[in-house]
Amino acid sequence: MIQRWSAASIRARLTGWYALVLLAMLIVYATATYLAVRHEFLEQLDEQLHDEFEAAETRLTRTSDGRIGWREEQHHDADHEPERVFEVWAATGEQLHRSGAAVTLPPTALAAANSSYHYETVTANGERWRTLAAPVTVGGHAVVLRVSRSEERVLGQLWEVLVVLVLGLPLIVLMAGAGGYMLARRALRPIDHLASEAHRITAEQLHQRLSVPNQRDEIGRLASVINDTLARLELSFDQLRRFTADASHELRTPLAIVRGIGEAALAERRTPPEYEEALGSILEEVDRMSNLVDTLLRLSRGDAGTIRLTQEPTNLGDLAREAASSLGILAEERNQTLALDISDGPIAPVDRLVLREAVTNVLDNAIKYSPKGSTVVVRVDRMGDRAVIAVADQGPGIAPEHRDRIFDRFFRVDQSRTRNGGGAGLGLAIAKWAVEMHGGQITVQDGPRGGSEFRIVLPIAPIDPAASDRTPKTVPRGGSS
Amino acid sequence: MILTFASGTRTTASDLDNMLSVRILVVEDERKLAQVVASALQAQHYDVVIAPTGEDGFFRANAETFDLVLLDLMLPGRNGLEILQTLRKRQVQTPVLILTARDGVDDRVLGLDLGADDYLVKPFALPELLARIRALLRRGRVSDILRFKVADLELDLVTRRATRADELIDLTAREFELLEYLFRHQGHVVSRGMLAREVWKEPRRATPIDNVIDVQITRLRKKVDVEGFQRLIHTVRGVGFILREGEP
Repeated sequence: MIQRWSAASIRARLTGWYALVLLAMLIVYATATYLAVRHEFLEQLDEQLHDEFEAAETRLTRTSDGRIGWREEQHHDADHEPERVFEVWAATGEQLHRSGAAVTLPPTALAAANSSYHYETVTANGERWRTLAAPVTVGGHAVVLRVSRSEERVLGQLWEVLVVLVLGLPLIVLMAGAGGYMLARRALRPIDHLASEAHRITAEQLHQRLSVPNQRDEIGRLASVINDTLARLELSFDQLRRFTADASHELRTPLAIVRGIGEAALAERRTPPEYEEALGSILEEVDRMSNLVDTLLRLSRGDAGTIRLTQEPTNLGDLAREAASSLGILAEERNQTLALDISDGPIAPVDRLVLREAVTNVLDNAIKYSPKGSTVVVRVDRMGDRAVIAVADQGPGIAPEHRDRIFDRFFRVDQSRTRNGGGAGLGLAIAKWAVEMHGGQITVQDGPRGGSEFRIVLPIAPIDPAASDRTPKTVPRGGSS
Repeated sequence: MILTFASGTRTTASDLDNMLSVRILVVEDERKLAQVVASALQAQHYDVVIAPTGEDGFFRANAETFDLVLLDLMLPGRNGLEILQTLRKRQVQTPVLILTARDGVDDRVLGLDLGADDYLVKPFALPELLARIRALLRRGRVSDILRFKVADLELDLVTRRATRADELIDLTAREFELLEYLFRHQGHVVSRGMLAREVWKEPRRATPIDNVIDVQITRLRKKVDVEGFQRLIHTVRGVGFILREGEP
């Protein structure tokens, strides 16, 4: 229902805009047409007047009694013409002759004598008349001849043109709009189809995909994009589902232990040391749980993007040294050598505490999985505009098929190695999160001396952005493993 | 000034306990938690008053005199931050320690800005709560103790020497700091969380640091509690560690 409405709304809007643009264009077109026609009509009227003026001038004559009259008595016809008036004026302004329609036109200003043709529009009895007046000589007398024609017929014709234009315009727009609407509906029908298909896909059926009728047209591209989005959604849903399942498992185990200890302790009367033992062991589990909840909370805050880093230029070599000195004691316990290979510590803008935790977790991982008496090497180096912190161990290494998932939350290569071996399997997930927050990457590959090597690559903000990219870099550093 | 603590009693070594009893107001609506905190405080000989609602807490903090207020933020009736704000507006300068389940940085900053003296996130460890209360009550007093002593174990902060029965103990820098921290809280349990934050300067407790602390304590114990001497560094299972004479 809802997607039908929104599709209809797009149709309506398309049609509306289409009609509006068409209307605007038609209005301009109609106005121009009307103005051109009007100009043409009035011009014709003037030409007609001029012709008649010249014809009248040749027929004008002075009769024997000194009056002005027509050479041939044709004015009889003219008397009955309702649209024409001929007038002859003396230079003094006195009317000498008139014939034609029975209408009194206002006297011409040209009676006062002027030499050129004078066109004028005058109003008489509510009608508009077009007049042409000019001085002529009749039998040696200078008089003014005026020929007038009513504009009513022309105005009537113009009115008809206007009516046709004004009435036809909305009709055309309406018809075009209807056509546009149909076209739009046709064009949008695949979208309707797409929408109803997409509507059927819910969180439970994220594996479904939309059908893509034509890969190359716009609709096909849209469907492909939606399908890509669905694929990504499905992936993150799966991750979330796994994460939730793992998290509840990790929380359930200590809860079960706590409950079991409590129940066993209360099942029969026990000695104070036994109670102390039970309570202490409960507290240990509680501690584990609250640590887990803290970590999960932090990861989810990281996901939600509500954690802000306080980045300042930090010597990554010093940072690695701190992590190593913190954990050195753990390596000592296992007779491991913690070797630092730190050239000139690169400076990078990082959140010291967050990044140090990442390094600490990676280092802890290396110490934990490296055999007793082996060597763990921490190397801090600069590679062009990036800094590398690499931790190489001599442990069993990580099978290639696990390398993608090693940074997943709760992932453990050895599923049986759950609680006693180390942590809840969140250390590397935290490290990955921390490194990515800094715009860096964390990867794992085969180590140079067996085992595996974790590599944290971080961008070093270029001090001079102009010089950072273009200049070819020759880093004279040999023996990079 | 050099002060030496001759401590042999089982009670806390704090000199505060010898003064008139210290009154603490606990504003907390969760009955169980309020009682746990109250009984822990009473075990330290503090006088405890529980206010189960925000209104009650506000009224009491305003009308009575306390040496310290433990304030929950999410309360029925009146929000903890409002209470704090109003108290400070009315010039009630009693130290306030906020207890809350919200640990966002913004919440923390807001609480401290409104005049709270310290901040503790639930679930907190009781040893840490007690340590912070002691620190708040001690505030403003001279406390630059430079020599510590428990039984025949002595620590001199000036010469940075530790001796057991006048025999010099060779300590690394970290071990010395750890021992100093235990001395400063002698007779009180210190949690791993406190050690991580105060000695290792790690803002968060992560598994590696927990392991490091355990190993470090074991090593320190090997050096301090040598064969033939009384054990002074004890582990309280599930809680933390304590420096004291006799079994805990």
